[in-house]
Amino acid sequence: MTDGSAAPTGAVLDTKHIVEALLFAADEPLTLGQLAGLIEETTPAVIGDIVRDLETDYALHRRAFTIKRIADGFQIVTRSEYAAWIERLRAAAPRPRLSRPALETLAIIAYKQPAARGELESIRGVSVDAVLRTLLERGLVEVAGRGEGLGRPLLYRTTGHFLEYFGLPGLDALPRPEELEVLFADRERQEELEFDSEDTVAEEGE
Amino acid sequence: MADVESTGHSVKLETLDFEGPLDLLVYLVKKNEVDIYDIPIALITEQFLEYVEAMTREKLESAGEFLLMAATLMRIKAQMLLPQPDLDDEELEDPRRELVLKIIEYQQFKEIAEHLRDHESSRRLLFSRGYREWLAEDETRAEEEPANRATLGDLLRAFADVMEQAARDRVHHLEPLAVTIEEKVDFIRGRLREDGRSSFRELFVVGEPRSHWIVTFVALLEMAREGEIRLRQAERFGDINVFVGEGFEK
Repeated sequence: MTDGSAAPTGAVLDTKHIVEALLFAADEPLTLGQLAGLIEETTPAVIGDIVRDLETDYALHRRAFTIKRIADGFQIVTRSEYAAWIERLRAAAPRPRLSRPALETLAIIAYKQPAARGELESIRGVSVDAVLRTLLERGLVEVAGRGEGLGRPLLYRTTGHFLEYFGLPGLDALPRPEELEVLFADRERQEELEFDSEDTVAEEGE
Repeated sequence: MADVESTGHSVKLETLDFEGPLDLLVYLVKKNEVDIYDIPIALITEQFLEYVEAMTREKLESAGEFLLMAATLMRIKAQMLLPQPDLDDEELEDPRRELVLKIIEYQQFKEIAEHLRDHESSRRLLFSRGYREWLAEDETRAEEEPANRATLGDLLRAFADVMEQAARDRVHHLEPLAVTIEEKVDFIRGRLREDGRSSFRELFVVGEPRSHWIVTFVALLEMAREGEIRLRQAERFGDINVFVGEGFEK
């Protein structure tokens, strides 16, 4: 840690307070690397401990804010209990929530990226033209290049803003497909996917 | 939506709204409480067709996708009725296999979408410094670029205007088509490279033969389809402006 000597005003200039000041003043999430780069003689690991420490302090002292891990970084945010009052501060109405088709398309892009439009349409079974435009305009996905296939289709991937919008620390914070609770009966059988053709044909043949 | 609780036939299928044919299939599989790995294809096909028949005019936009699935279901049903050539053949593939895998995959992404919805809900309750600036940024962007998308009708109208003007010029050029769509795409890219936008009219070079304008128009449609450009209109029947899109090639 740094010197800990007293400043003229009498404030204690230790690393913990410097980190707190930086997080307070920043208007976007700061990564441990960014924070460490701004402070002398420290490492991202030390900063990581400090951030956790600060978070505990805020919880213990029942502060109105906390530190949230978003898009690989950390950000001071107000606690959800105070949302109603902060919304009154807003000049404009909050942006509309994403539609279900938009969320489904985003989910596929998040897992399959970089993904071409054809792939998205094949999984959803419907056209994704309009949805894709909305996602691009809201900065949630971006073009990642062109694929090798026919017509060299545009490929799409999620953006940093995607993580910020959903408050996710990273893509790995999303559930893995095998962790999903599949509502269909007999989950184990998916691995085998052995179809019992004889029986079913008999049943079907009314 | 599809997750409406239902008991037997008490919920009228046609009053429900589905995102697409797969969404409807997921619903039918759950509603009938059937084993996804042993779908009673005749029953599901019958209920699927009931829904398609009842589809209202407003939903006709996606009717093609539903009809395509209906055809797939009927093909599978027919295959299931055919006598199996050799019952000992373990390699024989169930005709339902491909469809089942699609339904399962779609269902998984539906669940992930629900996870995202939860994250969205909780994130909207957290505020950080600088959200005012975020809002302001959004507003300035909206001023520069109207949110109204020019429809195909708007484009055709604007193009008809341009062509009408050309007709008034009464100059007859009788030359072969000397310009390709690729050349016009390059030309449009060049125009947009400078400040990322252009008016629709400016892209039609005065003095060029009409055939070139047609090529310019086709190039614009092609670029819009590829996401290279966005076509915007501040008001209905207003002038159309062309903006650089996400897929713009510099």
